[in-house]
Amino acid sequence: MISISNVSKQYRGSARPALNNVSLEVAKGDFVFLVGASGSGKSSLMRLMLREDVPTKGSVHVLGENLVGIPSRRVPFFRRRLGVVFQDFRLLPNKTVAQNVAFSLEVIGKSQGFIQEAVPEVLRLVGLEGKADRLPSELSGGEQQRVALARAIVNKPALLLADEPTGNLDPTTSQDIMALIERINLAGTTVIMATHDRGIVDRLKKRVVELKDGEIIRDQVGGSY
Amino acid sequence: MKFVFSEVAQGFRRNLSMVVSVILVTFISLTFVGTASLLQMQIGQMKNYWYDRAQVAVYMCSDVSATDVCPQGEASEDLKASVKEKLESNTLSQYIDKYYFEDHDQAYATFQEQFKGNAVAKYVTAKQLNETYWVKLKDSTKSQIITESFTGVAGVEEVRDQRSYLDQIFSILNAASLAAIGIAVLMLFSAALLISTTIRLSAFSRRRELGIMRLVGASNFYIQLPFILEGVVAATIGSILSGAAVLAIVQFFVQGYLAERLPFTSFVGLADGLLVVPVLIGAGIVLAALASGLAIRRYLRI
Repeated sequence: MISISNVSKQYRGSARPALNNVSLEVAKGDFVFLVGASGSGKSSLMRLMLREDVPTKGSVHVLGENLVGIPSRRVPFFRRRLGVVFQDFRLLPNKTVAQNVAFSLEVIGKSQGFIQEAVPEVLRLVGLEGKADRLPSELSGGEQQRVALARAIVNKPALLLADEPTGNLDPTTSQDIMALIERINLAGTTVIMATHDRGIVDRLKKRVVELKDGEIIRDQVGGSY
Repeated sequence: MKFVFSEVAQGFRRNLSMVVSVILVTFISLTFVGTASLLQMQIGQMKNYWYDRAQVAVYMCSDVSATDVCPQGEASEDLKASVKEKLESNTLSQYIDKYYFEDHDQAYATFQEQFKGNAVAKYVTAKQLNETYWVKLKDSTKSQIITESFTGVAGVEEVRDQRSYLDQIFSILNAASLAAIGIAVLMLFSAALLISTTIRLSAFSRRRELGIMRLVGASNFYIQLPFILEGVVAATIGSILSGAAVLAIVQFFVQGYLAERLPFTSFVGLADGLLVVPVLIGAGIVLAALASGLAIRRYLRI
């Protein structure tokens, strides 16, 4: 599913590499927490898996694609096969909940018929039935993140990358979102989640990968923060 | 596709003033290009027409000729006869279509006709004007032959190809059209810059959508097309306007004004104008597509 080996990433103008000889294997259906302080390299690693960046050294394989050698015109097609959520939701403020989800299907060329069927279904799945016509500004933070999750999984991706999805949410709402992400994982989607939330990591007892100064210092199954 | 067009319409609304300036700049610069190419066509036409009629003048010595070329003064009948003989000789006659002799009185009549109303017409006398052999060549580019045969011959003051006068006029017209093209190129360059700035502005105001489109895997083509179309549509409007302007210039200025006042000159017509218009529109579209394509490629790295 994901195979990262001996990856280093050095940003221009910085003395220390953001990632230093990092290797990581993730199997299908896994749930992995990426933990570590700010600047430890979590986001750099996520960016490599999304092919927002290429490593300075080493190889990155995600969903069977070699992300170092992939021609840039094929990157969009690679990204269609995974879902992404962020701390800041990244919703379009002038589109309704349903339109936000539909937008991501329209721009990859899905038919109107498919969109009309898939959008209500995924909104039901994330518990937003009845809010399809609301604007993001009319929703709570937790609800907005549900919209983002709906958008991420509407294409039934094999992999979900979540970059601090609960970072802007209060603990109760975070729990709801985590329950949803666990359900998505149980349905067979591999989940990689970068987080600072100690409570969540400790409670879920999943595989924990800890980064410090660009290196993996711990990779523990059933670990805690 | 519905999505693409609604995006283009949105982009237009958002950057209306920029879009209008793109339209105006392409309009004006392509009008310059169109006018310059019509001027070139006009020069070509006039060259054909006038070069065909251009003659070589063999000016015979007169009383007032400078003594260093005409030491004997007025060319005698013998000298004139020898020039005529030479013109009819086998070596030269094969190049000559026809020739005729213009004596003092004829030259005077022509002069009075040409300078009617001019003060100089009062002072000049028939004797001061050269007697001339006007030679019309079969191929007007071969005037060298006549020039070489008669320059320095006794009784001949000067040999002059009329084309040398025409060349001056044409080189002025040519310089004018080159200047117009130069201005047009500058303006087209600024049009290209303006288009790319507009596109960048448009991309910036849509950066949220763009970020999401990239994340969910919209293809580059799908992301870039609305922007490229935005530039192309604006430039197309501008180039259609410039096409209309060029046709209007031909119809109302050239045919309506110039042709009426200068009846003996053939001018470019609507047919020539219609030849230029598709070139203008094509150039506008290609320019806009390139400028916006490059701009968006630089702005939207995948």
